[in-house]
Amino acid sequence: MLALVAWQLAWQWQLKPQTILPSPHQVLTAADTYFFGDPVATELSGVVYFRGAGWSHLATSILRCGQAWAIAVVVGLILGLGLGLSRWVADLLGPFTNALRAVPLFAWLPLLAVWFGLNTTSGGILIFIGALWPVVVATTDSVARVPIGQIETARMLGTPRSRLWRRVYLPSALPEIVTGLRLSLILAWTVVIIAELSGTTTGVGAMMTAGRESNQTDRIIVGVFIFALVGYAADSLLRLFTRRFIRWSAT
Amino acid sequence: MTKLGLLVAKGVEKSFGLLPVLDGIDLEVSAGRTMALLGPSGCGKSTLLRVMAGFEPYDAGTVTVDGQPVNGPSPTRGMVAQSGTLFPWLTVRQNVGFGPREQGEPGVDATVKDLLVVTGLSDFADALPRQLSGGMRQRAAIAQVLANQPPLLLLDEPFGALDAQTRLRMHEWVRGLLAERPTSTVLVTHDVDEALLLGDQLGLLSARPASVVSLRDIAFGAERGRHTLTDPAFVSLKADVLDEVLGAA
Repeated sequence: MLALVAWQLAWQWQLKPQTILPSPHQVLTAADTYFFGDPVATELSGVVYFRGAGWSHLATSILRCGQAWAIAVVVGLILGLGLGLSRWVADLLGPFTNALRAVPLFAWLPLLAVWFGLNTTSGGILIFIGALWPVVVATTDSVARVPIGQIETARMLGTPRSRLWRRVYLPSALPEIVTGLRLSLILAWTVVIIAELSGTTTGVGAMMTAGRESNQTDRIIVGVFIFALVGYAADSLLRLFTRRFIRWSAT
Repeated sequence: MTKLGLLVAKGVEKSFGLLPVLDGIDLEVSAGRTMALLGPSGCGKSTLLRVMAGFEPYDAGTVTVDGQPVNGPSPTRGMVAQSGTLFPWLTVRQNVGFGPREQGEPGVDATVKDLLVVTGLSDFADALPRQLSGGMRQRAAIAQVLANQPPLLLLDEPFGALDAQTRLRMHEWVRGLLAERPTSTVLVTHDVDEALLLGDQLGLLSARPASVVSLRDIAFGAERGRHTLTDPAFVSLKADVLDEVLGAA
């Protein structure tokens, strides 16, 4: 609330030119137009539409992020379990994955651009890479830290070695894995805007890029709010969904 | 092959690197009897129990249960440790049913229900381990192991973390439980009262590396409980045993 008042005052006192710093009311109007305005009847290719395009852009961005994140989760869990549970996999892939993990995320961008062009394919792969490492690290570390007593108990009670990962390692490590999933989801969502910088006319990121090119700061700020709200909502949903599986670890 | 739970250990030796821990252990636990093992702190009692459970390999000698050599953990040898062995993410009911379910045995629900009654945990069937008191947790851990109906029960200071009153109640409860379902049991403890209340036989171990110093029968009859603690014969036996234990240290 205080921030809102400060924003309004900064606008009124014209601390910055009004094209750079629009008023809260202007941003709200822009958001209203984006989501509830009448869309144009015939769309031309290569144009980023704004009026009435909000819902479709939002759905596109969520889908783009969700697909890459889901693949990263599956690959990350398998890789993490392998690295954490198998000496053989850890020796074979451990140094390789650690080296790859040290590459700054956006350092992949030039390479992806050369290989696939600056388009949504490169963007999707970038989201995937960003979302992958938190899952891998959380899974590897947490399964390696499962107390030996739990493994011994399961073996004593009749769990064969081949089933230990499902009966003990995964449930025991789940609270930390969930933390990894949350980090990964937020990271994936923040990379969406980079993935939509060019090569696409749909998505919230594309709208923000168009807003920057046409100096419509109110539209950029609408995008910022959408990213914040959706990111927060996604994290809350993930927490809600995983809560019952990790209820036991609450202190 | 009948499963009686006859445990025979002959000349068992075990070292951790250069540190010898077990030095030629010879023991025999008859079917349905309870062997209490007392020894000074750090003498290798727990290692011996872990060898019997199949958690630790041994360097020399033999350990057999009903003639079968011990070479890895098995549902036929149930072990309960001081820190408890419950899975924190499973409810009491799921923990108790874990073993039979893993082995695909039929009638799991009936077995679990029965054990929850025996352990007095029926009202806590859907509680998580962290919601239980220390005594309840250990009762649940014992029920978890008994669900597999193991012929041999291995108890590694199972009540060491409990307060004195709860421990005494647990002694009486275990005594009743083992009378109802005769199971060969090896109890490792440093508590002389516990050893004398629960054991049919008492084995004294030397300081590390452990070997069996003496074996004796404990003849107090089946009805043992809080009243036994003040029985003059018990007090006198306890004094003898304490002298021997402290001598062994």
